[in-house]
Amino acid sequence: MVAHNTVRRSAGTTRVLPLPLGFGLGAGGICVALSGIVGLIIDINQSSTAPVVELVLGVAAVALGYAICRLQADQPITRAAAMSMFVAGWVGMTAVAVAAFWLSGELSSPLDAVFEAVSASTTTGYTTVADPQQLSYSLRFLRTAMPWATGLGVLLVSMGVLPAAVAGAELLPQRRVRGQRQLVTTPRQAIRNILGLYVFLTGALIVGYLLTGMGLFDGITYALSTASTGGMANHSDSLGHFDSSAVEWIATAGMVAAGGNLLVVWWAIRGRLDSVWRSTELRLYLSLLVLGFVFVRFGDSGLSSSESAVAISSMLSTTGFRSANWAASSDFVRVTLLVAGGIGAMSGSVGSGFRQARVARVALEVRRSLQNLLSPSRQSIIRIDGVAVREASLSLTYGYVWMHAFTLAGVATFLYTDFDFIATLTFALGLVSNIGVLVNGDQLQSFVDPSGWTEVVALFAMLLGRLSIYPVLLTIAGFGRWLSRLRPHQAIGAGA
Amino acid sequence: MALAPSTAPSNRSWCLMLEQRKENRNSDGFTSPSRRVPATVTHISGLALLAIAPGLLVSAIVEFVGGGGAGWWLVLCAIIFAVIGGGMWQGTRLGDLALRTVFASVAWSWLLVSVFGALPFILAGTFDQPGVGRWVVIADAIFESVSGYTCTGSTVLTNLPTLDQSDSEIGRGVLFYRQLTQWYGGMGFVQLVMTVLPALGSKALGFMGAEAPGPTADRLSPRAADTAKILWKLYVGGTLLIAVAFTAAGMSAYDGLAHALTTAATGGFSTYSNSLGEFNSVRIEVVAQVGMLFGGSNWALHWLFITKSRKVYAQDHEFRAYLSIYVLATVALTTILTVGDEIEGGFTAALRSASFNVASLASSTGFGNAQGAGSAGDFVVWSATPLIILLLLMVVGGMSGSTAGGTKVIRSRVLVAISHRTLAVARQPRSVVPVKLGRDVVSERVVTQVSLFMMAYIALVVGGLLLVTLLGGDTEASIAGVIGSLGNMGPAYGDAGPTSTFQAAFPTPARMVLAFLMLVGRLELFAVLLMFAAPRRALRRVRPHRQAF
Repeated sequence: MVAHNTVRRSAGTTRVLPLPLGFGLGAGGICVALSGIVGLIIDINQSSTAPVVELVLGVAAVALGYAICRLQADQPITRAAAMSMFVAGWVGMTAVAVAAFWLSGELSSPLDAVFEAVSASTTTGYTTVADPQQLSYSLRFLRTAMPWATGLGVLLVSMGVLPAAVAGAELLPQRRVRGQRQLVTTPRQAIRNILGLYVFLTGALIVGYLLTGMGLFDGITYALSTASTGGMANHSDSLGHFDSSAVEWIATAGMVAAGGNLLVVWWAIRGRLDSVWRSTELRLYLSLLVLGFVFVRFGDSGLSSSESAVAISSMLSTTGFRSANWAASSDFVRVTLLVAGGIGAMSGSVGSGFRQARVARVALEVRRSLQNLLSPSRQSIIRIDGVAVREASLSLTYGYVWMHAFTLAGVATFLYTDFDFIATLTFALGLVSNIGVLVNGDQLQSFVDPSGWTEVVALFAMLLGRLSIYPVLLTIAGFGRWLSRLRPHQAIGAGA
Repeated sequence: MALAPSTAPSNRSWCLMLEQRKENRNSDGFTSPSRRVPATVTHISGLALLAIAPGLLVSAIVEFVGGGGAGWWLVLCAIIFAVIGGGMWQGTRLGDLALRTVFASVAWSWLLVSVFGALPFILAGTFDQPGVGRWVVIADAIFESVSGYTCTGSTVLTNLPTLDQSDSEIGRGVLFYRQLTQWYGGMGFVQLVMTVLPALGSKALGFMGAEAPGPTADRLSPRAADTAKILWKLYVGGTLLIAVAFTAAGMSAYDGLAHALTTAATGGFSTYSNSLGEFNSVRIEVVAQVGMLFGGSNWALHWLFITKSRKVYAQDHEFRAYLSIYVLATVALTTILTVGDEIEGGFTAALRSASFNVASLASSTGFGNAQGAGSAGDFVVWSATPLIILLLLMVVGGMSGSTAGGTKVIRSRVLVAISHRTLAVARQPRSVVPVKLGRDVVSERVVTQVSLFMMAYIALVVGGLLLVTLLGGDTEASIAGVIGSLGNMGPAYGDAGPTSTFQAAFPTPARMVLAFLMLVGRLELFAVLLMFAAPRRALRRVRPHRQAF
């Protein structure tokens, strides 16, 4: 049985946290050590100490992670604890990356190191580095390896190991994910299937990029960034640096696949095309892609077909790659792409945003309510993928809608940037949807140079967006409860 | 016209026909012939149109007294309104009163009055300018009329007078009619119609609910028609009180009354180009703020305050939230404007501009206190954070049961409670957590309705934004323009700010889309979305009979 079924109602959350924290440290350590090795291989003749530091740090993090994992208590896991575990794993992984960025000495301040690490590990793609070419190879590799690892972690946890840990698990009908001949049968096979698909996509992208004439390092890093919808680029003008429509088409295909539901990809590989086509979410995703492409291509954007395809797929999959400056296009094109970024990718993908499945549910609910107004006696149910959706699940979706809206509004308000109104709004959208681009005047950029306060708000916003809000809030609430449990003892002591 | 059935009626049908004839005699207090066509939509719309005629006559008198040249045009319009409206009313009777018909009646009434309401502007030549085509003039007149009746306050008039201008291009009567459009729309003319249609009985509450801002219509009396009368009396009294306060604060009697009409209605039209900024008076701005907040709060509360308890305001959780929003937003804006040194004059000027604009947008009025482009109250030149705060105020709007627009404070409170419940359920999936406002449990029906309303609202914002930008609107102005139109606010951002007009920011087709959104926003989405449902069903019912013949 998969771990999902071991979720129980039980008290206690803190004692189960060492395991994911250790896993996170280990995963982060592997990424950092691998970056160090890559840096040492490519950068051998240069004087940068970053690769060596990363290698040492990575090995130490793996060792520490292993040690912490052994502290794991044998204890049932509640839903809240599962979510906290997810957050703990992410914190562990990011902590190693922060240390690597900071100790490299290539970033101007510790807060910038935190921002860069969080941006990478939340698959956002904003950067405080104006020209990534100035960074060492190892750090450039780390910027793309971290989102890839996060993407893998999100897929494994949400679809394979512990769906209860991820907000939005209700969007995936479990009986279509799990069971015989499904994506998830046993935990071991789930990991094998998901890892296999993810690695296959990344490998195909590497080959695709290499065939277009990209160098090996760029091919690998851009493929990692594409497959994870991270959007971190080695060049300040992102994909636009290559000025190649072949690169743009490969990136488009990769981003569309990465923003798609892994389950649908699984069905397609297994030849179950009827299931593929029955997917409501997939039809919506493809429709929006086509519609968005038409709007961008023919909406007075001045972009070529390949540039339009990159623009819409980059925003809809929340990758954030740029091949042309669509911020200088007509207002209609800009709004179309920003709306696409707000909607985001499919559920069960590495992409982020509001998710196609939620949009489909909301649209069907609005239609149902209008029908009910016309015929009050009518009773109808909402079907997704031909399967009736439980009202409780719908209720959870609507709750998420408002939490997402409040988060977006709150982040936009509290960012307090020097940007203008549109740039601030797009910055907030880019943070919460983990897109990583903003429209500043008629410039499209991933580079930001925020003040300390803005940087802190941005960090929190990226985390909320990547972990779909609930897990972060529940972890904070759990931490608050843990602290409050300490207080009565102090009060009794004081009173005595 | 419905045709007679081909077969002989059964006993049951005879009973129904007799009942219907009895209803015909009594439905609106007049003995009407049984040959009146049963058409609820036409009946209600005609009566609403008729209700505007007296306002036009008053405006004509003001025009004659003020020495303007459009007095007779206004009289002609009053006659046209009376003849067409009276004909529609007397030629029909109430028929189907199903929910969809109620919604359709309200929506068609508003559409008809808004479109006909453009006639005085067209005939008086208010929008005539050299080099501007006839269709653009008509479109502008319709925009202004819709903006007026929906209490939005967005304008395309570029030749409004200044305070010291003696020879205005637009007569005082026409400007007074413009103010009156908002006053009519504030409480709602279907609500006005209810006061003379007592035979509607329990169905009247459905009409009021379809027009009333907010999730529910408050009932102040066992009979809905009496509730409508109470609210209109209160509305007239409130307007006169504000007019007196404005006059005492330094306005002329004409200006005081004209601005009171749009303050009580939370409309925001002014008779001057710089809105209230023209007076540059703190006293007038304070009166306006109190008036706007008064108009933006639940009128049923005002009635209960007068008749029952002095504690109703303090006890009402929505009112507390409404005032808290006002205070918090004012404090936040004042701090940002002062710390960021965004306004000349320091803290005092910042407080004055912040409190006024927060009250103006939180109540969806839309008055401005800027004395010109780039001056202290011109919020389009403020930094991003204040603009985002103001935009959020535009979304939230005033209280339910008020004359204000926006999505209403009560809905925002319910959404927060839903979010809280969702978090609790996410933590413990098997728990049953009710949505609560204070100590009150909100029913699941209301929770669903509020959620659906907001989802439809978001869909309309996104759709409207795409459409307006497709038609040539600028992104910044379009975002605030669409949200402002749906929330019946008035000013937007960019070139459509408080010291500018919508003519500068949006092409004519985009303005038409915004006008439609104003109607959708005033009727809270569903009435307009369902306005074609009742006529379509009526047509469907007619078709089988035709086939029989």
